[in-house]
Amino acid sequence: MLLPIFSSLVLLAPPAPKYPADAIAPALRENAHAVVRAYDKTVVVKSASQLVETVHRVVTVLDEAGSDDYGQLMVDYSSLRHISYMRGAVYDAQGQLLHQLRPAEIHDQGLGDAGGSFMRDLRMRYADLRQPTTPYTVEFDYEIVSENTLFYPDWRPQADENLAIEGATLQVTTPTALPLRFEEQHLPAGAASAPVATATQTTYRWQLPAAPAVEEEPLAPSLAEQQPDVHLAPATFEVQGHAGSLASWQSLGQWVYQLGQGRDALPPALTARMAQLLTTTPDPRERARKVYEFLQGSTRYISVQLGLGGWQTAPATSVATGGYGDCKALSNYTCALLKAAGLPAYVALVGAGAEHPDVRVNFPSSQFNHAILCLPLAAHGTVAADTVWLECTSQTEAFGYMGSFTGNRHALLLTPEGGRLVATPRYGAQANSQLRRTDLWLDASGGAKATVRTRRLGLAQDDYAQLLQEADPVAQKKYVGNHLRLGHFTITSLRLAAAPTSTLPGVVETMGLELASVGTVAGRRLLLTPNLLGRLGTLPAQVGPRLTPLALPTPGLYQDTVRLHVPTGFRVENLPLPTQLTTAYGVYSSACTTLPDGTLQYVRQLETRRPAGGAPLPAARYAEYQEFRRKVSHADNAQVVLVKTDA
Amino acid sequence: MVWINRRLAWLAGSWLCLGLGTGPLVAGAQTAAPKQAPPLPLRFGQPDPADLEAQGFVADSGAVAVVLYDVGQSRFASAAGHMAIVTERITRIKILKKAGYGYATVEVPLYHQGESSEKLSNLRGFTYVRGGDGQVTKTKLDASGEFEEKRTDKLKVHKFTLPNVQEGAVIEYAYTVTSTFFSNFQSWTFQSEIPVRWSEYRTSIPQVYHYKALYQGYLPFAVNELGVGSVNMVLENTSGSGMTATSQSQSLSMSTEQHRWVIRNAPAFREEPYLTTANDYLARITFELAGVQMPNEQYRDLTDSWTKKNKTLLSDEFFGQALGHAGFLADAVRPLVAQYPDPAARAAAVRELVLKSVKYDGTNRYHATGPLKKAYELHRGTAADVNLLLIAALRQAELPAQPVILSTRAHGRVSQDYPLLEQFNYVVALLETPGQPDLLLDATEPLLPAGVLPRRCLSRIGHTVVEGGEGRWVSLTPTRRYTHLQNIHLTLHAPGNLTGEVQEEYGGYAAQEAREQVQQLGEKKYVTQLAAVHSGWEVPAYTFSGLATVDQPLALRYELQQPAAAANNPQELYLKLLEPFGERRNPFRHAQRSYPVDIGLAQQEIIMLTLTLPPGYVADLPKAANLLLPEQGGRYLYQASAPTPTTVQLTSRLTLDKPVYSADEYHTLRELYRQLLAKQAEALVVRKTQ
Repeated sequence: MLLPIFSSLVLLAPPAPKYPADAIAPALRENAHAVVRAYDKTVVVKSASQLVETVHRVVTVLDEAGSDDYGQLMVDYSSLRHISYMRGAVYDAQGQLLHQLRPAEIHDQGLGDAGGSFMRDLRMRYADLRQPTTPYTVEFDYEIVSENTLFYPDWRPQADENLAIEGATLQVTTPTALPLRFEEQHLPAGAASAPVATATQTTYRWQLPAAPAVEEEPLAPSLAEQQPDVHLAPATFEVQGHAGSLASWQSLGQWVYQLGQGRDALPPALTARMAQLLTTTPDPRERARKVYEFLQGSTRYISVQLGLGGWQTAPATSVATGGYGDCKALSNYTCALLKAAGLPAYVALVGAGAEHPDVRVNFPSSQFNHAILCLPLAAHGTVAADTVWLECTSQTEAFGYMGSFTGNRHALLLTPEGGRLVATPRYGAQANSQLRRTDLWLDASGGAKATVRTRRLGLAQDDYAQLLQEADPVAQKKYVGNHLRLGHFTITSLRLAAAPTSTLPGVVETMGLELASVGTVAGRRLLLTPNLLGRLGTLPAQVGPRLTPLALPTPGLYQDTVRLHVPTGFRVENLPLPTQLTTAYGVYSSACTTLPDGTLQYVRQLETRRPAGGAPLPAARYAEYQEFRRKVSHADNAQVVLVKTDA
Repeated sequence: MVWINRRLAWLAGSWLCLGLGTGPLVAGAQTAAPKQAPPLPLRFGQPDPADLEAQGFVADSGAVAVVLYDVGQSRFASAAGHMAIVTERITRIKILKKAGYGYATVEVPLYHQGESSEKLSNLRGFTYVRGGDGQVTKTKLDASGEFEEKRTDKLKVHKFTLPNVQEGAVIEYAYTVTSTFFSNFQSWTFQSEIPVRWSEYRTSIPQVYHYKALYQGYLPFAVNELGVGSVNMVLENTSGSGMTATSQSQSLSMSTEQHRWVIRNAPAFREEPYLTTANDYLARITFELAGVQMPNEQYRDLTDSWTKKNKTLLSDEFFGQALGHAGFLADAVRPLVAQYPDPAARAAAVRELVLKSVKYDGTNRYHATGPLKKAYELHRGTAADVNLLLIAALRQAELPAQPVILSTRAHGRVSQDYPLLEQFNYVVALLETPGQPDLLLDATEPLLPAGVLPRRCLSRIGHTVVEGGEGRWVSLTPTRRYTHLQNIHLTLHAPGNLTGEVQEEYGGYAAQEAREQVQQLGEKKYVTQLAAVHSGWEVPAYTFSGLATVDQPLALRYELQQPAAAANNPQELYLKLLEPFGERRNPFRHAQRSYPVDIGLAQQEIIMLTLTLPPGYVADLPKAANLLLPEQGGRYLYQASAPTPTTVQLTSRLTLDKPVYSADEYHTLRELYRQLLAKQAEALVVRKTQ
């Protein structure tokens, strides 16, 4: 009996612990759900058409809130991106091995449904090493061989809030003939080493020291913009035999343009139909509108992205026969239609989405996820030159409107001469406006009936245009109801209708409401905040010093007019004092007056501003901005006091 | 928006069990089928010209598209000498608006597992558009519009999208799915997110297979017929094995049961808040294999009673048998027996051990994925791995735990009328003590105490799995409520500013919710968010207690300062004291309700506020309120008193006693909240006496 125990003691002498949790410095535990113990990325460029990325990542999960994000690993792959291996191990708090990941425990899944794509070869493998007790440490190793050298890997070790790092490294080795391009962001001093060159290749190295966890603050730029990062890109690359250069925006644009070349032929009947517009509609702008209407009436968006198809457009003929395509295919098709109608246009690449950061203009690289169309119109007669931008994937978007999806940013025009970075339309406060008129009939118990007419223009109408086009009346009512910040209400009627101006799309919402407790009964008095629907909330109190810069929302113009019909048996005892604020962050005014017929009229207007355009402001400005918001909120909550007339 | 095709019910019932006690069903009686089966209501490739017109499709004028016909036919047939279930489906949809284009893209999930698989064949489709000239253009679905994706090991998704879709177009597609899943199957759903004008399902089943069919929903059948037919099959019969195996073809003629169900003009199904899962409300038929009667063989009864089901489960390698191989737990569990003589305390200690040993991975099922030892060594597993391990460990600790199988809220309601295992997807442990309430144990949620099931399990009823007997139904409705108590002491200062202290207590499911948030946000951010909701609040200090002791309520105490609303020193102050601590918005926002409000648990929300007035001020007490919901559904109580001349006490107490309120009760529930909000929004009038 003794012998086996003895021998097992000898054989199973515990290996040296790896990454024990108590070795983590106390400063790194603060506010951290997890701590990156090591994050070492190695990129080896094998040739213009192949690179190998190796990652070694060790994370100690400190509490349950870090488990889902860091106790698992997901690696995506596709026909141009292969996973050579995935390995993993998990250690307990003392650093003793708990479990070694087995190949059978690695799951494989298609991602075709993610993001609404129809045909897509993107898949992922994932491994789950989450543990029932914290802390524990996971160690993952994986290697990816990529044949899509248009994209080089990114390196951002501290990608999330509540995540500390002990350190991280990045090493890139590339043949000297294929020089590396990189852009460093917020790197601490000494993070970069001098490149080491041999006869045939050059090695670059970066290293990050320990850094405590950060917490996101309200109205801050995204973490991606604030954290250390090294963006990598090739100088020259090759994808499935198509060689290109990223030396400039011009060369990137040229590569994409050439991929699409010769794919713009249309069926002759369609060409003829478009050419006919030249005679029926001589005005170029009106002709472009006709073409756009034709597009919107006869096509729809279906995403197809397989291999090179992620960058190369499908031929215009396939859209003509099937009536569908993805953003590239529909833009290319529309470009061909416009050309046939005598209107030369350009496809443009853009990073789309209201939250998508603008292009880093000094670092030509593939930063785009969408294609749109740009149509320059020459001056003719008394009409000045103009540029029309078209969103070709929407069947309902207004002609020439980009909105929050693709406006206010840069796009890469694809021209026969190559790429050119240009600005898409800008939408300022006037193009992001909401004008509302409310009639409120109050009763003696604090309830009310109201009619509300809201006209939204430009960016402010984007969500409502979608609601108008895509939702049925029941769903519209549900959405509007869920967004009303009122205690208890019943929407008695609701109607949405398009109401554009000559330059901007608009939506008018007309609504009937029955409200309870909008007025507060206080003995013989009835109190009411006339700013029923347009109150701007305050900001959360600042706890400790503000650390991150201040990123203000897009400027907008918000106007509310409320006609308050006083219930019989009441008279006005007190009206809110007029307020006027003029600051760098916005201009505010509110006033309440009695109209000749006894009705009260409350008028409130806020135009928000961004002192430095879109650029973030220093953290120190937060207090000042908070004070502005506090004053606005105070004025927004001012009350009317009505008192019972002594009958 | 992707039109995920609800899967066809590949199998059909040889008897129909109607009148399920769950929904207000008006099924209508089953009738005998005519001798000659009526023709299908549509012919593929030949759309009705009237359907190409622009007008008059459906009462719901807002619909983005309407299903004109959705017709499925399932029959047993022989394919290459083997029996298979062949389902042909034809669907025709009218696209009314651009927002309905998504319905032209279809996904057909195809499962395969072991020897069983589903295969798609004979896919074809057309788009019909009437042009301005009255001519109808017919465009064919071609191969470029098809794509097959291997989603997981067991699931392939066949996708297709129809060409030339426009407003007013009629699209039509048909395909065949051949399945060899004889016992595992899904339902036929008659309803969709868009209106369905005609949904029909036909089944033809040889009388060798007996299936139970279960209808649920809120819509009546237009046709519900049962008839008799026959089928000829050529089956390969293999005898012997290896080199000596011989096979011979055998032609069989069998009589069949033929069913036909039609629902007409099904309205669009719309999700509402507080529903369990859409499947509980949609009109659909589900099936389970009940028995097999092969020629010249004894009838094999597969599902006649709970006794039989229990036997099946207990002899299953991944259920009962797995429970038997738990010796590896003995060393860890044994010390607990002596340490905790009290069974409930011991059960809690065993559960704690399992919680610390195995992490729930988020997957819900009642079959273990493998031997329990494996999950124990991996420290991770499904709900079944975790809770079967719990049952095994309880038994090792000399506690006679039984499995209770249930269906999670997201998986749908179970019928108590028939023992259909298909309906279940979860297992928990039950400890019975004579004279004591049932103790239900689950080891998937560390933030809940022993004896409290996770919220996902609150689906009314589960069933025990016992040796040699029927077992019984067990109520899952928790005795623990969702309770939130706020005890507030405020002092009013002469200029109108307030200072004070709040003691909050979260009990039952509210404690779990709060602990989860504190875990995610951290204490500081949690309090910051709490303060941020109330304009002008400052919270100079706070303390949490009981964060780690999940069997106790979670307490939060914080100090509060609120500046005066007006700078001057007025004669009268109007204080909305309760509102910042209350609900502020009616959770029942919408005026209409079609389906029951299923919260799953009872709730209690109490606010007790004491205000101390400055010298020289008095307050006018507001009126009390006492509102009751019908049938002991709950109440709202509001009281105001002045225990001393300078203090005011306000009490607001909401109690909701039912886990589920019917759609008819919705309006009284909504009204109760309206009045609660009105009372909480009332201002206390404080007057200067000098």
